[in-house]
Amino acid sequence: MPAVCLYFQVHQPYRLRHYSYFDIGERHDYFDEELNKAILRRVAERCYIPANKVLLEAIRQSKGAFKVAFSITGTAIEQMRAYAPEALESFQELAQTGCVEFLGETYYHSLSSLYDFREWAAQISMHSDLMEREFGVRPTVFRNTELLYSDDIGAAIGELGFKAVLAEGVDDVLGWRSPNFMYRVPNANTKLLLKNYKLSDDIAFRFTNGGGSLSPTTYASWIHELSGNADIVGLFLDYETFGEHHREESGILAFLKKLPEAVLSNQEWRFSTPTEAAERLSAVGELSFSRLTSWADTRRDESAWLGNEMQRKSLGRIYDAATLFHGRYIQDEAMTAARETWRRLQTSDHYYYMCTKGYGDGIVHQYFSPFESPYDAFIAYSNVVKDFAAECARAPKTPTLRVLAEGPRVQP
Amino acid sequence: MDFPRYAPYNPNTKEPAPYIREPMKILMLGWEYPPHIAGGLGTACQGLTTALAGQGVDIHFVVPQLFGGERAEHMSLFDAKRTLAVGSQDPGSAPEVAELALPVSTTRIPAFLSPYWSPGQFKEALAAITHQHVASLSPSLRNDPVARALIDGDVFGIDLVSALEHEQPTVVAGENTGGRYGRDIFEEVERFTLQVVSRFSKDDFDVIHAHDWMTFPAAVALSEATGKPLVVHVHSLEHDRAGLFLNTQINEIERFGLVHADSIVAVSYFTKRSIETHHKISGGKIHVVHNGVYSHDVASESREHKTWPEHVVLFLGRVTFQKGPDYFVEVAARVIPHIPDVLFVLAGSGDMLPVVKERVEQLGLSRNFMFPGFMKGEELEELFSVADLYVMPSVSEPFGITALEAISFDTPVIISKQSGVSEVIEHALKVDFWDIDRMADFIINALEHPELRHDLVAMAREELKKLHWDVAAVKTIEVYHDVYRPEM
Repeated sequence: MPAVCLYFQVHQPYRLRHYSYFDIGERHDYFDEELNKAILRRVAERCYIPANKVLLEAIRQSKGAFKVAFSITGTAIEQMRAYAPEALESFQELAQTGCVEFLGETYYHSLSSLYDFREWAAQISMHSDLMEREFGVRPTVFRNTELLYSDDIGAAIGELGFKAVLAEGVDDVLGWRSPNFMYRVPNANTKLLLKNYKLSDDIAFRFTNGGGSLSPTTYASWIHELSGNADIVGLFLDYETFGEHHREESGILAFLKKLPEAVLSNQEWRFSTPTEAAERLSAVGELSFSRLTSWADTRRDESAWLGNEMQRKSLGRIYDAATLFHGRYIQDEAMTAARETWRRLQTSDHYYYMCTKGYGDGIVHQYFSPFESPYDAFIAYSNVVKDFAAECARAPKTPTLRVLAEGPRVQP
Repeated sequence: MDFPRYAPYNPNTKEPAPYIREPMKILMLGWEYPPHIAGGLGTACQGLTTALAGQGVDIHFVVPQLFGGERAEHMSLFDAKRTLAVGSQDPGSAPEVAELALPVSTTRIPAFLSPYWSPGQFKEALAAITHQHVASLSPSLRNDPVARALIDGDVFGIDLVSALEHEQPTVVAGENTGGRYGRDIFEEVERFTLQVVSRFSKDDFDVIHAHDWMTFPAAVALSEATGKPLVVHVHSLEHDRAGLFLNTQINEIERFGLVHADSIVAVSYFTKRSIETHHKISGGKIHVVHNGVYSHDVASESREHKTWPEHVVLFLGRVTFQKGPDYFVEVAARVIPHIPDVLFVLAGSGDMLPVVKERVEQLGLSRNFMFPGFMKGEELEELFSVADLYVMPSVSEPFGITALEAISFDTPVIISKQSGVSEVIEHALKVDFWDIDRMADFIINALEHPELRHDLVAMAREELKKLHWDVAAVKTIEVYHDVYRPEM
């Protein structure tokens, strides 16, 4: 019995202000609180709250046959709690239905998997704790930031105790194989659940193609056509697709409302969460990834964040600072705050804004960016990092931050 | 008449582009031509005519005065007396109409005056030229290319010198000139008009194409005399050049040309908007044709054996209100405390130079500043090559071709948002000309982070490939076709 696995990504970064070189040493409030608040409130009103309501009704009407999965970053949860607590409550309400799974990821939506395994593991663990606290269940399936995936990442995720991991169903990796089956990480028991990017992008990018909007019955019929040739169809989407990227007037929320019924109208099909699918389906084989993949841009690789010199140098700088925090027992308040800032600066969005790709990809990057250009983004980020580094370097002189220079005085 | 649809043009064949009506002959009027240039106008004329000629357009280009050394093998380059530039194409002689009489009041000075001179500079130049006494020139004029060419003596004959000695020119600032132009610039314009009409109205051409206000009266007169359509090309407006001190006479001449033109070419949307706003001309007849740039190999030698300091930031242009040199100095004052080993090079001449130098001294920045004067040729190329950053803080810049030249030397650019070039270059650091803190933020970061310069240049270089003069030529030919009136 084939199933649709619907999964939504929820993320909001702490965007930086237009921090000038002349702010260095003068002020240390790097994040644009007003902007972040305004965006979070807007997205909550347009997407999180109304779309959650649609999902909740669909779950009730289908008597639990409709299921979805979310991954919600720590930075998104924190900002919801601060600026739109009703949005966070509506996610908690969904969690109580038992039909909604919450996946693991990095708390800060960072690229730490590519730079610092130890930091990566720490952020995953922070995020799992948060999910358990907010939604009552510890994640058992993992999705890495922006679906970044390689064989190494797959292997590491298994060691961290996850049952399955999500990845992009990239053509050049799959070759003749179909994305619509469960695979396995090479030499491990960890399951590999792939995104069907064609069907996912039909909603994300082509919903309003050709004047009219996509109808739920047409879309469901495309899924039903796969009968006999699919075990699991992964539809992985940014949650903001519903109401923010496509406004409500486009009919996107009505589409979401009708979709469960349309899919379930064929008796053969059902919905499945990633964990259910990983438990129910056995892998058809191992799948080795010859390269680093992601769900971003036309190349579906790491180039959205590591495509130019500015991005690579900025990432190098921020991960060089790891030596300040790793292997240290951090109890001190100022130290904790410094580490928190360091982690917020790791959020992948900062590098995404620095992308200089042209045309199609570039337009998507600019759509999300609070900066006028990739260069403005780089300059603000560099200024912030410079001030942050100077603050850390100054630390030994102040007793509260002495630990930065001297290392831990107390071993746990 | 219908023109064939455009087909891709192959520059390797010598044939005219297939979309060009055969023959397409243009009479073009300009005021300066490289290497004797005072601003971007001559450079743009050279680029555009080269590309037009490359696509099979036959051009007769007339400037008031030839100085020698002009290279224009791609067309026929004349002075207003119909003397052909050495090496340029000989179109054969055309029948001359009766010489028109000059008004008595006009002094007998050839049209060598730089439209960028102030009345004071003009007077000074005349005196020095008359007596061939270079030392008497103030430093700002000593480096002025036009003055230099005149004084070097290869420009004018004995007749002129004696004529000058006998007829003392009247150099009076007009009542409304705002003190930047002598009255004689208008006499020069008038003389050019008469000469052009008398010597070129019997030529065989299809369209008249005139560059900037100095040529507009000649162009309109020629168009009226011959019935040929007129295209005027706006590289800059008096409004942009003058700031608060608008010369109403120039403004009127400009409007006269714009109103009489069958079609107007503007070098940017910025300029198009200015024309619409200041001259109340309908946007329907204004076509935007962005300038291009010819790519060339970077003179990397200068970079390699550089005796230059660690960081070089370059300003290049006329040192006038319009170009924002004062902002460049204020920005430098913000940067130097943070990057002490930086050299700010302010290259160019103009009426604000003394004020700017004084300000640099007053701020105590002399050690970090260099004023090489007006640069051209190899010196200019070396400057572009050694600069880590090119800054164009223009208050009002119709296009800003130097920014493209800087990029062609792999030098990243900071450009003001008040410029036409910011419409065509995405990969630049863009800033409002008055936002000194932001500009300083840009400069410091660009000097401290080679990766920022690297990415800017890498991307801008790609953009430059699309800004070829051939693109400008194709659009210009479209404008010609629009106004072309086939003979009945």
